[in-house]
Amino acid sequence: MSLEELDSQHDYQRLVNRIYHAEDFDFVGLALPASGQSTIKWYFVAGNQNEQFRKIVLRSGIGIAGLVVKTGKPFWKNGLHDVMYESKMYTPIAKTESLQSAAAIPIYTSKVKLADGVLLAGYRSDQQVSAETISRLSRYLTTD
Amino acid sequence: MLETLNWIERYFDEVTDAVFIFQEDHLLVSNQLAKNLQQELDLDPNYLAQVADASVKQKLAPTDDCFKCEIRSLMKDISIPITLAEDQPHPLSYFLIYHVIDTDNHVFSLTLKSRDIIERMDQLAQQRQLNQYVNRAHEEERKKISSDLHDSIAQGVYSAIMGVRRLREESLSADEIDELSQIIERELNDTLTEVKGMALDIRPSVLDNFGLLSALKVLAQRSQENSGVTVTVIGKADTDRLSSNVQSVLYRIAQESIHNALKHAEANEITILLVSHDHFINLEIIDDGVGFDVPAHRKFNGRSLGLMNMNERVKSLNGSFGIKSSPGNGTTVTAKFPVVGA
Repeated sequence: MSLEELDSQHDYQRLVNRIYHAEDFDFVGLALPASGQSTIKWYFVAGNQNEQFRKIVLRSGIGIAGLVVKTGKPFWKNGLHDVMYESKMYTPIAKTESLQSAAAIPIYTSKVKLADGVLLAGYRSDQQVSAETISRLSRYLTTD
Repeated sequence: MLETLNWIERYFDEVTDAVFIFQEDHLLVSNQLAKNLQQELDLDPNYLAQVADASVKQKLAPTDDCFKCEIRSLMKDISIPITLAEDQPHPLSYFLIYHVIDTDNHVFSLTLKSRDIIERMDQLAQQRQLNQYVNRAHEEERKKISSDLHDSIAQGVYSAIMGVRRLREESLSADEIDELSQIIERELNDTLTEVKGMALDIRPSVLDNFGLLSALKVLAQRSQENSGVTVTVIGKADTDRLSSNVQSVLYRIAQESIHNALKHAEANEITILLVSHDHFINLEIIDDGVGFDVPAHRKFNGRSLGLMNMNERVKSLNGSFGIKSSPGNGTTVTAKFPVVGA
């Protein structure tokens, strides 16, 4: 891992921490491909209740985060508790972190207009997420 | 005519159900089996008549006007479960069937049908329902494969085709070409991952090439990546001597159990144990989920058909199958097969 990469890693964790402290989310996580690999995993989190998130491999098109990576567009969903395991909307990170609602926006790590990461934040309570949550999240990425 | 009557009488004596015919409270006639039963069990026919009478009154009582009962009161025959020789070591279970022959003269028959026969018929009905379930499950699986092919694979390939067309038809800068080719590569990569995943779900080639233990490890890894739930495989097994049928069934049991644990049990950890001994091989799938009341699901209902089907598949290959669970204590599914000694 190069010095530059290490630096950006540090930045990602700082970003996640900053959102977690400034906002009222119960969980904030950021998933990226490891350098030189295509598998996307959750590397930076705040407010996690266990370490199970490390085992998840993001599948393009599956779940909230997978959909964001595939389409490159923000996505949010409430009532996550009712989503069954077979469903295309089943979001593993929501399951392991007991999230009831979550919003996610794409992250572009390279110059290519291709989302390869995702920033997700959610609530364990029945607090709802909406387009407003998305714009709140997006502000953190544009000011960076 | 006389001869016909004779035959009817003979048939009446030889049928396998005990038949009593009453007028009012008096026994008019009974067949040979009924007479034997009466003698062997020291049975008073009036007792049967009274049981039937009480039951009939109860079922036809006007106060009992629920929907179901109305249907019941329309039935010509009334069947009453009854156990005879209760004080003896082998109580006999029967259905007492009440049938009115002549309403005006108050003539009715009571038939004792062995419940064993009726249970056997229930079993057949269950078998039929299970067959239906298996057929439906087959169809569902095809539906899923078809929609996966259409939604993920076809979609991905189509996007890639569109990308290639843009590369060829539009005049793009070197940077744009670079970007577009990366997008196409990603699209094809995702599609490839999907195809591989589908192939694995349908029939893992690992199972044929590297044996059961490797297949279980791949399955565990994949389930773990898709759910975040820790799936561990602990194995010390020589599966070379197992028939491919047994290996397939064991693999499917692990697959179905993991699926159930993720879907219903909200498990955080699943452990798969595969251990072979001298004469048998044992597979256990243990989860720490919410568990369920096993006896309540043993009866026939839609949700337990998967479990019943597993049970049937194991039994058909001379194995044994068991589920241990109680609410709050997780679930353990066990399958055991005999292995022919080396």
